[in-house]
Amino acid sequence: MNFSFTSPWYLLGLIGLALPILIHLLTRRQQTRLKFSAVYLLQQAQKRSVRKSRPNKLLLLLLRCLAIGFLCLALANPLLSSGGLENVLTSRPSAHVFILDDSYSMSAASDPGTLFDRATETLAELIEKLPGNHSFSILLASDPARMIQDWTDDPGKALKWLKAAQPSHRTTSIGKAVTGAVELLNAAPQENKRMFILTDRDQNGWDRDEFPTAFVKDARTQIKIIDFSGYQKGLNRALVQRVKLKQEFLTNRRIIRVQATIANLLPDRAIMQLPVTLFVNGKRQSESTIDLPARGESTHEFAFPLLNNDPVSGHVEIQEDALMADNRRLFVYQPDRKIKVLVVDGDPRGVAHQHDSFYVEKALNPFSSPMADIEPSVSTLSEFSQRDLKQYSVIILCNVRDLAIGLEQELEKFVLRGGALFIGLGDQVDPKYYNEKLGMLLPVTLKSINQVRTEDKPFHLLTQPSEHPVLKVFTGNMLKEMARIPFRTLYTIESRRGRPFEQPMRFTNRFPALIESKFGEGKVILFVSSLDRDWNNFPIHPTFLPWIQRWVKYSAQSLENISRHDVTVGAPLVLEEMEQPPLVRSPGGKISVARKNPQSPPVFEDTHRPGVYELYQWTGTPAAGAAADSPSPEPKQLPADARRMGSFTVNFDPAESVPGKVPVKELSPYFPGAQVDYSPADQALNAASVGAGVPLTTLLFLMLAVMIFWEGWIVRKE
Amino acid sequence: MAENTQFSYGPETLAEVSSLSIRAIQLVEGLLSGHHRSPHKGSSVEFAEYKDYSPGDDIRHIDWKVVGKTDKYHVKQFEQSTNLKCTLLLDASGSMAYRSPDSKSPGMDKRDYARTLVAAMGYLLLKQFDAVGLTLFNDEVVSHLPPRSKPSHFQNILHGLQDMEFKGVTRVEEVVGDLIERLPGRGMLILVSDLLTREDDIFKTLKMLKSRGLEVILFHVLHPDEVNLPFEGDLVFESLEDDPPLGLDPFDVRQHYQKAIQEQIEFYTKNCPTLGIDYLFLETTTPLEQALRYYLLRRKSLRKI
Repeated sequence: MNFSFTSPWYLLGLIGLALPILIHLLTRRQQTRLKFSAVYLLQQAQKRSVRKSRPNKLLLLLLRCLAIGFLCLALANPLLSSGGLENVLTSRPSAHVFILDDSYSMSAASDPGTLFDRATETLAELIEKLPGNHSFSILLASDPARMIQDWTDDPGKALKWLKAAQPSHRTTSIGKAVTGAVELLNAAPQENKRMFILTDRDQNGWDRDEFPTAFVKDARTQIKIIDFSGYQKGLNRALVQRVKLKQEFLTNRRIIRVQATIANLLPDRAIMQLPVTLFVNGKRQSESTIDLPARGESTHEFAFPLLNNDPVSGHVEIQEDALMADNRRLFVYQPDRKIKVLVVDGDPRGVAHQHDSFYVEKALNPFSSPMADIEPSVSTLSEFSQRDLKQYSVIILCNVRDLAIGLEQELEKFVLRGGALFIGLGDQVDPKYYNEKLGMLLPVTLKSINQVRTEDKPFHLLTQPSEHPVLKVFTGNMLKEMARIPFRTLYTIESRRGRPFEQPMRFTNRFPALIESKFGEGKVILFVSSLDRDWNNFPIHPTFLPWIQRWVKYSAQSLENISRHDVTVGAPLVLEEMEQPPLVRSPGGKISVARKNPQSPPVFEDTHRPGVYELYQWTGTPAAGAAADSPSPEPKQLPADARRMGSFTVNFDPAESVPGKVPVKELSPYFPGAQVDYSPADQALNAASVGAGVPLTTLLFLMLAVMIFWEGWIVRKE
Repeated sequence: MAENTQFSYGPETLAEVSSLSIRAIQLVEGLLSGHHRSPHKGSSVEFAEYKDYSPGDDIRHIDWKVVGKTDKYHVKQFEQSTNLKCTLLLDASGSMAYRSPDSKSPGMDKRDYARTLVAAMGYLLLKQFDAVGLTLFNDEVVSHLPPRSKPSHFQNILHGLQDMEFKGVTRVEEVVGDLIERLPGRGMLILVSDLLTREDDIFKTLKMLKSRGLEVILFHVLHPDEVNLPFEGDLVFESLEDDPPLGLDPFDVRQHYQKAIQEQIEFYTKNCPTLGIDYLFLETTTPLEQALRYYLLRRKSLRKI
């Protein structure tokens, strides 16, 4: 808080303060003295009397002095500014560290430009005003905090950088930047040290654990926080929280469904009819509106047909608000040509048709055609542990007794990520194992085997028209035929407490025939009888083929959905183990190689820009022109042998969008022991320019009028 | 000093004494000549009542005429009337020296008023062949003239009044305590004072005097300034006694001050008659004749003089 005067010569008028003092002294001498007899009675009367018409000389003196003081100050036209830069401009050598918040929340709209533009302008102004014997350094506060300007007293380079600077796409980490700044200041030889933090106070960036506990060696270090949040134009109303894609195989036309979750950031106001647009491959695909409750979120599902198997990339966008960055979320999707199904045979026999998996495999791909939609592959129990489950969309366990140790966790991960698990039972099944080890996946326990004798009437499916996506095609004669299928053996099941599941199919005695439940992103389906002819005749029935195929298509999601990656800006992408780390083409066209680690999978870390990143397999031979002697050559363009192996998206971290700000009064505790000064950016800017600030002239004239009125009232009373 | 009849004063003092004397004498003579002739010419025996004779009674006092008419022996009884011994007790404290700052203030100065009153009372009493003494006091007895009935004693009183200085603090209670043994029993005490003292128990002292058989007359003398506090402006009041200076605007305290003074006057006016004390409040603008007239009427009504 400091004063500056436009017309300081008027301050000479303060000499006039001598006038009321003189009057006071003169009037004191004119006091009459009178010899009187009953002074003690006067004393008693004075104690009882509340009237004080005798002018309070000292009060009058004070009022008159104040009146003259206010008059002189008002004429001098004072300007009040807080958080000014007067300390910066001292002649003593000083060290300054400027922390510039360049997180993407700083890209919020201002008038004109963005908050970041205002911050860089302010910082440039600060640096320009630094006297020659002051040195400074600049740190960026987006995560990870980094220094862009080491100690220097030459503003030229920094000003050039600031002129071209753009906000990053990262989140804030003021704490890490402050830690870096403290280290810099502790190493600085100057006596006067100051730290400037130019920020929008976004709550996401102020993690108390990241701030240094032992703060600064020198308690004289001053910390000035310049807040730019006041410049924000409008509110950041909403953001696209996440986008999910899935491929639908069940319908005749293959459909991609895009689920966009939109969050309302306004704490007290619902948003109605917010336009949401889906862009696919650069074209506007679909548009809709969505209603969002206050501080809540809603999901809207877009669907569009898949015309070919080319990769799909696009984004979901909502109507613009103050912060554009979070209004768009990218996605990329690789549709599958085929559904890869792994059929695990728990009871392989010498004769093929006696295998438990025989009927399932035949039903899924009756002609063993490579052009078929479903590509089943059969595995024995011993081979199962060798398989890479990520390669499959659906895993069918046929009469599997139990699984090798650890495989149940792999299965859980598989289903959690979106895989489908179809379990057919049989005589080999160990119910104890299923009940104990697969408890996470199965919402029911296997109770007992229910078998009917040969002479008794077998179980039959309860057939009735169903709205279930799988079963709705079974109508009329097909239902009648299904109703005739005899089931001689089946498991009775018992539900686990608190685990929901559906029963799309039942037997006539109301026993569940098939249950379906969700687990994570995927599905688990349990058929209580066998998938071969051991316990029923269903596999040789004509309806078995469409029945099993539809269940597989219904439960399957594309491989891309399981294996696709979406990372937030700055987060490393851990790739699968491979001999040669893949090439990555960034959105800007830059080619880089994922970093190979000796004992862990390769990692790609340069994800600082949101967009779609392409992954390419290559042999490690750089294109022509690359440095041949480099042990890990970084090709400037894609090599000829590069083969596209997938893609991933890098999106903004929604945490930075949360509009909460760190309360001003809670700023000081982040800097224990330091002198913290907070000022809104407009005041900091005004203080930096001469003649700017809050004018106090009117206030002072008002005060002068009050003083004159008060003084007159007292004198009149006298 | 009390017995000194030889005067050794300068012409100014003598002139002042003379003027005081003239004022007092004129005052008393004028008053008496205008109203009645004094019946008290030294008669010492006065018929009081008859009583039946009883053995032992002086047969000289038997009224033989009555015996002749009624054949009953009645004895004349006479009231023994001795010369009245009166002590004039004058407050000589600093507060009695109050002079109005306004030179055009009507009436006499407070001290002149009090002294003239005392001198007039002395003259009046001496003229009635009563013995008159004068005691001046502030916080102690300053001077004491024992009662004498000789007419020349008036000169002693005048000189005692003329020589006095008004200073010190009023301490009626202490002074009376010291004086009470020296006062004649069953005499008269005339107290002239402004009663401006912090003492609370003046009335108790008066009660004590009364209990000693003294006839007490209290002249409460105040200057109108002391009653009305007519001053204006920013003033510092310096006490004529021992109070510290006090700066104030009289306007602020006037109401309370006047109330306090009036309460004091009302207190004495109300309570003195209950003790048989004659109380008269006198402002210095009140003609002294009025005070003396009051005294004479009062005595007359009580048939004491």
